[in-house]
Amino acid sequence: MSETESAPVKIVDVSLDRLLQPERSARSSVARETVFQVKGVSVLYAGNRALDAVTLDIYRNEVTAFIGPSGCGKSTFIRCFNHMNALIPSARIEGTILFNGEDLYGPGVDAVEVRKLIGMVFQKPNPFPKSIFDNVAFGPRVLGMKDGLNERVERALSQAALWEEVKDRLKSSALSLSGGQQQRLCIARCLAVEPEVILMDEPASALDPIATSRIEELMHQLKKDYTIVVVTHNMQQAARVADMTAFFSVNQGAEGQRTGVLVEYDTTHTIFTQPSDKRTEDYVTGRFG
Amino acid sequence: MRVVLEEELDTLQATLHEEGELVLRALRGCLNALDQRDPELADEVIAFDDEVDRQYLSIQAGIESLLARQTPVAVDLRLVLAILHNNLHLERMADYCVTIAKLTKLVYGVAPDQRLMRAFEEMGSRAEEMIRVALDSFERRDVSGAEGLVALDELIDRANRRIVQHLLALGNNLTLREWGLRMIIVSRCLERIGDHAVDIGEQTAYLVTGEFREFTDASHRAS
Repeated sequence: MSETESAPVKIVDVSLDRLLQPERSARSSVARETVFQVKGVSVLYAGNRALDAVTLDIYRNEVTAFIGPSGCGKSTFIRCFNHMNALIPSARIEGTILFNGEDLYGPGVDAVEVRKLIGMVFQKPNPFPKSIFDNVAFGPRVLGMKDGLNERVERALSQAALWEEVKDRLKSSALSLSGGQQQRLCIARCLAVEPEVILMDEPASALDPIATSRIEELMHQLKKDYTIVVVTHNMQQAARVADMTAFFSVNQGAEGQRTGVLVEYDTTHTIFTQPSDKRTEDYVTGRFG
Repeated sequence: MRVVLEEELDTLQATLHEEGELVLRALRGCLNALDQRDPELADEVIAFDDEVDRQYLSIQAGIESLLARQTPVAVDLRLVLAILHNNLHLERMADYCVTIAKLTKLVYGVAPDQRLMRAFEEMGSRAEEMIRVALDSFERRDVSGAEGLVALDELIDRANRRIVQHLLALGNNLTLREWGLRMIIVSRCLERIGDHAVDIGEQTAYLVTGEFREFTDASHRAS
């Protein structure tokens, strides 16, 4: 590009004057708000360290993806955010996770209350063997959110981009839906109790490409109102949907024990254009894992 | 529907369009500076190149991100590659405008040959028209419109050759001869802007047909 050889002077030609348009706003110019602050979190199963000392922040109204090879601890890690590891008796968590500044594992924190605020969608769609309506209404009913239930169900199904497809058959069994529809139903079920965060553990890996694409579009829509954390083994999916990406890898111990570690955490753009760690580069370029 | 991909492609195309508008203004600015022997306006054109460069870099960054994250294929991939080329063509055109502005600053004290100045105005207007045709046919995916650039380019090339003839006839006045040397480069810059417009036309044909071909082959002229 040519160098300018003098400092800009007064614009003397109106044809140039009108050109100095305001700059396009930078993509992430808005100040970010931290939802989760993770500090030195390790997870041990029966004394074996499955995940070691993870520290990172997760931001509101963004999609954050965890990627990495099998056994890197990414699913173990996402399960820490809504006390899912507590369901495994031998599991122990070290370190702290602050959720909106409060210790997620502090004394008196109720796991049910946590799971209301931090919902989860799993790999395999798991609708209850009930009607479409009852699936979505289940959470609100259990939690005593019974006012305006019809509207709540409709809102959740609309947000999950499923309403138009099911509005005339709400009484039909949820099991009559296709796999992709069932997964969106599970997302609607999660949205019905108005969570702040949606955790998704491989939400599209059991779906065909078209259904996958719909889930990805849905994530893009939903992040306007929610914070989304997604585990995916599909790197391209992380590239497409995530604002931030964390790459996890596995360290092999002297006695063969495998421990997941966080290698690199950055904007998805950086992870996929110029990662700073060789291990990340090898993984995203397909040379390893 | 891949909404994010669509949005990013739309943004890239809109930014390329804006870049084209900036180049047209830089071109008009340097032509006016040359015609009016106005060194201040020439300075403006030179400084203004930063605006074009900003658009250039923004498109470059957008393409990098889109390729890394959205894996475009088929017509989407061709569109991204065509934008990558056109971005560079437009940026080069703006650089030629800067060169013309710099040359203008070197010779503004010399009373110009009016016949030559009219020839430059004609060449400049043709270059402007070619940029418009190149950008319009790209945006409308209009291959025959893009192919029409070859005939327009021939007119600029002819004007370039005429200007060289005029300059040879300027005689022995040393100041005028120096001026003439500078003006040969101005003529060459305008002629190159036309070439870049034809190159943009070739990208339009590539985008639409999926096959790249040069409209004219400078090294193997048809006899």
